[in-house]
Amino acid sequence: MMTLFDVHMILAILGIACIGGLIGLDRTAAGQFMISEPIVSGPLTGWILGDIGAGIVIGTVLELIWVLDIPIGTFVPADSTFSAICATAIAALGSTGAAGPSTIGFCILLTTVMVPCTMMADTIVRKRNARLADVPCASLILVYAGITRAHLKGLFFFFLKSFILFLILVPAGILAVQGLHQLPGFIQRGMAFFVTMLPLLGMAIIASKLSTTVLDGFLLMGFSVAVVAGTLLQAPLILVFLLVLAVGWLLVRYRDQA
Amino acid sequence: MRDLIRVFWRSLLIQASWSFERMQSLGFSYAIEPVLKKLYPDPGEYESRMRLHLEYFNTQPYLASFILGATVRLEQDRAQGKNPVADIRNIKTSLMAPLGALGDSYFWGALRPFAAITATALLFTGWWWAPLFFLILFNFWHIRLRASVLFWGYVNSGDPVDLMDRYRFTKMAKLFKVLSLSLVGGIAAILPAWSTTFRPLVPLPGLFLAFAGMLLMLLFIVLLRKGGSPVKLMLGLVIVCLGLAFLGVV
Repeated sequence: MMTLFDVHMILAILGIACIGGLIGLDRTAAGQFMISEPIVSGPLTGWILGDIGAGIVIGTVLELIWVLDIPIGTFVPADSTFSAICATAIAALGSTGAAGPSTIGFCILLTTVMVPCTMMADTIVRKRNARLADVPCASLILVYAGITRAHLKGLFFFFLKSFILFLILVPAGILAVQGLHQLPGFIQRGMAFFVTMLPLLGMAIIASKLSTTVLDGFLLMGFSVAVVAGTLLQAPLILVFLLVLAVGWLLVRYRDQA
Repeated sequence: MRDLIRVFWRSLLIQASWSFERMQSLGFSYAIEPVLKKLYPDPGEYESRMRLHLEYFNTQPYLASFILGATVRLEQDRAQGKNPVADIRNIKTSLMAPLGALGDSYFWGALRPFAAITATALLFTGWWWAPLFFLILFNFWHIRLRASVLFWGYVNSGDPVDLMDRYRFTKMAKLFKVLSLSLVGGIAAILPAWSTTFRPLVPLPGLFLAFAGMLLMLLFIVLLRKGGSPVKLMLGLVIVCLGLAFLGVV
């Protein structure tokens, strides 16, 4: 264990906790430019830690699964930013060289199990933030700059929440990945198969939330165009997707005019 | 103009102190603070206006700019005596719920999934810059709208009908959702041949595999409709995959 957590590893975990905390601010507290979305934060973490391939796979899969988990009212959605950064960091730091599909699948599973912990931490910070407005409310004249100070304290709490979670859960995940390598071969094969099936589940989650029917007309149209153009006519994939978008757009225009 | 630009920069942090009790009230007050300080040099007057803005406030963070623009205009009119009876509290509370619903449905429910699915489709073609494309596609709409609705709210003093006419949120949201669904169908056809290397798929899966992928996706949709959550389905999928690996099928 001592050889696993050497100075380089500790520095890498500290660095990713800082960067993850900053990226996490974009999720709710600052800007919301979507840098925190898994499809961006996963590859970014992978690039920093030298395994961009793992970051892209983890980020894309988690994006598809969580993209329609919407923060409405007081509902706190699953922290997909934390999941993407944490899973990528564990995969990159827990493997020698590029992480394989079984490690990637295992890391995604680990961070999925962590979802309730991150949601609870988010809830604690949001409850704590309610006290921030008490100071300026009590005496605005005495604390003329109190609004700015109290408000920006919220940024610090959001950062601290992510920072602490990364510091605890990334090393725990790295230890768990070491354990995975000792497990029987069928578990590794199962995990590799799991990660190849996840995009399909992600697509299903998106389709089920965007449409009220199981077999939506536009879903079927997209599938049919891709099968005809891609599988039967062997058109390049980029052309297949452009064709799907064009037909979808024409159908909407036709439906609106009709 | 300079005031509005300052409000815009501050509005980017409107959710920095988001809480269950007051939600964005402190963020709203923080965004409008420089304007109030300038308009009300008397501390007593400033305090009474700030207390009003510290009341409960919550809406979609991007469209909060529209309410901020309208509030700046009404506070200016009030301070200059042009509209001393403007009911700013009523305007804020009547706008925040509908704009919240509209913004959630447009930005989170339509634009973001569309940008994410388009970027995913690009990744399947082997284009590794797709995450950057996602950022550009989303923020092209987001930043433009966020800035322009602030100024539009200022110009029309918070008229929501004008806002709807100008930006056609509902029509655009519907278009993004339909295009997203079409792309999901298209990706489902090629997904069975996907590997974790994200290399361009050559050749594409045959008819049998394409239909098998689609059927499996429909099965997931049925399970989700029957009350399955993403976490439960992921855990169930792990068990199935481990079972298949144990039996030597995969």
